[in-house]
Amino acid sequence: MSSTPIQPPSIRTQEEIAARVKALEAIMIEKGIMTTEAVDRLTEIYEKEVGPQLGAAVVAKAWTDPEFKERLLSDGTGTCRELGIGGLQGEDMVVVENTETVHNVIVCTLCSCYPWPVLGLPPNWYKGPEYRARIVREPRKVLRDDFGLDLPDSVEVRVWDSSSEMRYWVLPRRPEGTDGMSERALAGIVTRDSMIGTGVVPAP
Amino acid sequence: MTGFRPDATELGDARRRVEALVAELPARPGDESFDEPWELRAFAMAVAAYHNGQYEWSEFQLSLIESIRRWEAEGGDAESAPWSYYEHWLTALETVLAGNGVLSDALLDDRTREILATPRAKNHHEPHYEPVAIDPAR
Repeated sequence: MSSTPIQPPSIRTQEEIAARVKALEAIMIEKGIMTTEAVDRLTEIYEKEVGPQLGAAVVAKAWTDPEFKERLLSDGTGTCRELGIGGLQGEDMVVVENTETVHNVIVCTLCSCYPWPVLGLPPNWYKGPEYRARIVREPRKVLRDDFGLDLPDSVEVRVWDSSSEMRYWVLPRRPEGTDGMSERALAGIVTRDSMIGTGVVPAP
Repeated sequence: MTGFRPDATELGDARRRVEALVAELPARPGDESFDEPWELRAFAMAVAAYHNGQYEWSEFQLSLIESIRRWEAEGGDAESAPWSYYEHWLTALETVLAGNGVLSDALLDDRTREILATPRAKNHHEPHYEPVAIDPAR
């Protein structure tokens, strides 16, 4: 027996592993082994449960509790923590509110910064160069042409650039005809895209 | 560009099909959640490559078991080599793909270095306090 201690496998940082996974995906896509859509599709299966339903619960609470909403808009991160929601990539979250006259939409112009703890993993189009460039250049057109969201001219569109230090997400408007609904039922109608700002919450 | 939005039932079915595959694998710790974005990506890639016919699921399964076994044999000490289920998952995936000749370590290393070397843009680590674009009401 050698007395040399066992060398652990080289410990890689999360960043190194993430890069390796990205490289592997790029190679497999180039080789035609898989498509981005197929990987997205599988990711989505899981995304539904790690993600946007948490944000939806926050939105529903904000719709039904004005004081909570006020806190949420002034301190997104701290207020989400009240509900036990927080963590990786959610260190500094800012919630921007949609109103009758202002519609907000989020992007990360450089990569894919995204408020993980409330929205789960970003969809691939969010990470793609096309969305990242065009939503800044022609937001109204992208929302209409790519997402079927035709906003009236009377509404101002604001595009928020998330960075690694500050991540935005959208508090969508509560739809008409939801007066009698419970907080829980309301959470059920909030969509991921409405919290990105590429959609609105449809009336039930 | 928006992709498609499957309804909840279809999602549930798809999930159950994947669960059926995963059920036969060594257990993931805890409640099956993902701690890092890359873990979910690696997870999805292994299933996608299998659907593409790159390997039998049992090959992947054995490779995953082998990677975990090796870690345990080398000490299985959380302090020297922290436990990461998905690092084993990734190793297993790389191993079966390399075994098929579709992947080489050198190629993957090169690509990884390229990605790591891509400079982070200036200012990206600072908060941006104003909207980056506004399309005013008319």
